[in-house]
Amino acid sequence: MTQAEIKLCSLLLQEHFGEIVEKIGVHLIRTGSQPIRVIVHDTRTSLDQVKKALCVLIQHNLVIYQVHRRGMVEYEAQCSRVLRMLRYPRYIYTAKTLYNDTGELIVEELLLNGKMTMSALVKKVADRLTETMEDGKTMDYAEVSCTFVRLADTHFVQRCPLVHATENSDPGPPPPAPTLVINEKDMFLVPKLSLIGKGKRRRSSEDDATGEPKAKRPKHTTDNKEPIPDDGIYWQANLDRFHQHFRDQAIVSAVANRMDQTSSEIVRTMLRMSEVTTPSSAPFTQPLSSNEIFRSLPVGYNISKQVLDQYLTLLADDPLEFVGKSGDSGGGMYIINLHKALGSLATASLESVVQERFGSRCARIFRLVLQKKHLEQKQVEDFAMIPAKEAKDMLYKMLSENFISLQEIPKTPDHAPSRTFYLYTVNILSAARMLLHRCYKSIANLIERRQFETKENKRLLEKSQRVEAIIASMQATGAEAAQLQEIEEMITAPERQQLETLKHNVNKLDASEIQVDETIFLLESYIESTMKRQ
Amino acid sequence: MAEVKVKLQLPDADPVEIENRIIELCHQFPHGITDQVIQNEMPHIEAQQRAVAINRLLSMGQLDLLRSNTGLLYRIKDSQNAGKMKGSDNQEKLVYQIIEDAGNKGIWSRDIRYKSNLPLTEINKILKNLESKKLIKAVKSVAASKKKVYMLYNLQPDRSVTGGAWYSDQDFESEFVEVLNQQCFKFLQTKVELSMEDIETILNTLIYDGKVEMTIIAAKEGTVGSVDGHMKLYRAVNPIIPPTGLVRAPCGLCPVFDDCHEGGEISPSNCIYMTEWLEF
Repeated sequence: MTQAEIKLCSLLLQEHFGEIVEKIGVHLIRTGSQPIRVIVHDTRTSLDQVKKALCVLIQHNLVIYQVHRRGMVEYEAQCSRVLRMLRYPRYIYTAKTLYNDTGELIVEELLLNGKMTMSALVKKVADRLTETMEDGKTMDYAEVSCTFVRLADTHFVQRCPLVHATENSDPGPPPPAPTLVINEKDMFLVPKLSLIGKGKRRRSSEDDATGEPKAKRPKHTTDNKEPIPDDGIYWQANLDRFHQHFRDQAIVSAVANRMDQTSSEIVRTMLRMSEVTTPSSAPFTQPLSSNEIFRSLPVGYNISKQVLDQYLTLLADDPLEFVGKSGDSGGGMYIINLHKALGSLATASLESVVQERFGSRCARIFRLVLQKKHLEQKQVEDFAMIPAKEAKDMLYKMLSENFISLQEIPKTPDHAPSRTFYLYTVNILSAARMLLHRCYKSIANLIERRQFETKENKRLLEKSQRVEAIIASMQATGAEAAQLQEIEEMITAPERQQLETLKHNVNKLDASEIQVDETIFLLESYIESTMKRQ
Repeated sequence: MAEVKVKLQLPDADPVEIENRIIELCHQFPHGITDQVIQNEMPHIEAQQRAVAINRLLSMGQLDLLRSNTGLLYRIKDSQNAGKMKGSDNQEKLVYQIIEDAGNKGIWSRDIRYKSNLPLTEINKILKNLESKKLIKAVKSVAASKKKVYMLYNLQPDRSVTGGAWYSDQDFESEFVEVLNQQCFKFLQTKVELSMEDIETILNTLIYDGKVEMTIIAAKEGTVGSVDGHMKLYRAVNPIIPPTGLVRAPCGLCPVFDDCHEGGEISPSNCIYMTEWLEF
C-alpha cells in the first residue's frame, strides 16, 4: 500500500469509526495479517479495546480472518475495501434512482451497519420511512420487503457467508475461529419470511438529544420477544454489482456524447441483456443477435428493424470500437468490447487532465503520441504543427510529470547518445497508476481541509447547536414567540454569515471528493481489467 | 608571256566569316554539331583555322562545348546567357553549371566544392561574384537553419527546402496554422461528411486535438477525392467524457502538489488555491 492510500484509509476510518478503530485498522493495513496478541503488543492498546475494534471492522467487511496452521487466527485488513467508503454516497444515490426512497434507505442502512438480517432491516427502514410520511400514515413492511426482494433479484444485495454447519462426526475441539462458506446458488436467495407489520413512529417521550448512538436504539423499540425467524442469515451490499452498473453508465454516456441518444439506448439495452450472462470482469460480452436486441428494446423506442440494423452497423464501424460484430447468424451477432471501452475512458481521463493542467497544445501532442505509439522529436513537431522550441518545452514538461516516457533505441552497441534514437511514447497503464496515486492524495487533502474548516469554527458550531437545543426544548414546553426570538438572537448576524460560509465550503469539499472518486473509479476499473488479462 | 599567279581567295576564308558560318550551322542544328559536320560544310577550311574559330567562339561564350558518346559537340548558347557570362572565366562557368544542374532543390557550398574540385576560397569568391551578378541566389534551408543552398536566381525553391505553405521567410507561421485550424473546424462542424485533400495535415492536427475523427471508406475510382480506391472522411465529434473529476478540484491542477503535506509550509489547511476556489 502506498503512503497516500494509507493516509486516506486512516482519515476515513477516523471519521467514521473513531480513534481506536483507526489505530488498529491502520496498523493492520501497514503490517499485513497478524494474530491478535501481536496487534495488542504493537499498538499498545488493551486486549478488550482491540477486540471491540476488530469486531467493528469485521462487521463492516473491512477485516477478514483466517485460521492458519498451528491453530492461530490471523486478521487481515483490506485497504481497497476501506477506500470504497468514499463511494457510499454514490451507491445510495444509484439505489435511489433505481428503486426510489425505499431502495435508497435499504442500501443506506446496509452500508451503515455492515451486515444485517432481513427482518431487522425491513423493520428499520419501515420506521424511518414512516417518520417522513404525513401524520396517520405508516409504511407497510410488505412494501419494504418487496423492494428488498427486487434488490436481491438484481444482485445488488447478497448474503454474507455463513457458519458451516459441521457434522457431529468430527469429535475434536471446535476450531478457534469458524470458517464461513456460502453456496453460489444461495447468494441471492431471499428466505421465506412473512413480515407483517407497519413502521412505527418514534414517540415523543423517546425524543432525546440527537447524539444517541444507533446501537442502543433497538433495545428501546423492540416490542416482541419472539425469536427472529431468519437469525444467522445476514445480508450485505454487493459492491461489485454497483460497480458494474457504474461502468455501464459510463459506457452509455460516452456513446451518447459521441453519437446520439438512440445509439446510446441500443448500447444500454445490450448491456442490460448481458448483465446476467457475462461475468463483470470479462473483456467482452456474450454475442447478442440483432433479433434479440430488437425484441428487448425498451417499449418507448419503436424504431424499425432496418433502422436498428443500420445503427448497429454504424456502432460497429465507429472508430471508438465499443461495439464489435462477431458473426452473421440471427441477423448479425454483436458484442460490446468492455476492455476497450474501459481503456478509452481511462485514456480520456488522462487526456482531460493533460489538457487542464498544461494547455490544449500540450494535449494535442499527448494525443498525437498516443495515436502513433512511438515518435521522434522531429516527427512530433511535424505532425502537431507546433514550432520546435515550444514542442520541446511541452514534451519535457510532460516527461517530468511522467505522462510521457522515453524509449531508447541504440544504433551502436555502446549506446552512445549521439547515435541513439530517442522515441517518445505513452504507457497508459503506468500513467493511469500515477494519476490514481494523485487522486488518492487529492482526496486526502480535501478531507483534511474540510476537517480543518470545521475545527476552525468549532466554537461557533457548538454555540449554534446549544441554541438550537434550547429553542427545541422551549418549543416543546410551549414558549412564546418573543422568548424564541430572544434566544435566536444569541447568534449574531455576522456569525450567521460565518455559519453559512462554513456550510457552503463543507458542501463544496464534500462534492469535490465524490467527483474525484469518479475519476478513481474509471482508472481502477481499467487497471483491474488490464491486470486480469495479463 | 608573264605568269600571273592568282591565288584563289575563297569567300569564307576570313576568320570572321568562318565563325559566322559555324554559328549559322549551330542555329540550324540547335542540338549541337560535331566537328565532322563543320568539316563537311566547309571542306576547304583547314583544321587549324577551324580550331581557331571554334576556340574564339567558345571563349566569347557563344558556343557550348559538350561531350557526347560520338565525340565533341558544339552547341549554340542561349543568347541571353551568352551575354551574361561574358567576362566570367571558366571556373565561374563551371560552378554555374553545377548549380544549374541542382535544379530547384539547390546545392550546398560544400557539395559544389566536391563536384568542382576547387579550393574553398575560390568557391567563395566565385559564389560572391555570381550572386552580385544576380545569376544565383542563396536560400536558407528550413531543415538546418544555418545551411544555405544555392540555386539559379529565377527558380522557385522546392517545398522541402522552404517547408511549404506553412513557412514564410523560414519562420513557422503558427498564427497562420492556428487560424486555419479554427476555420477548418468550424467548416466541418456545419457539414456532416466531407472529403478533403490538400489540407490533410491541418486536419490531422484537429484529430490530435480530439475535435475531429477520420474514417476510411472504400470508394469507387473516379469519385472526387478518392485515392487508390479509398476515401478519407472527416467529421466533427464531441469528447466522450466531460472534464474528469480530478481537474475540478484544486489539487488536480496544483503546481506544488508534491510539496504539500499536513504540517508543512504548504498544506491543505493553508492552501491558497483552495481558499480561492472555495470563495468562488
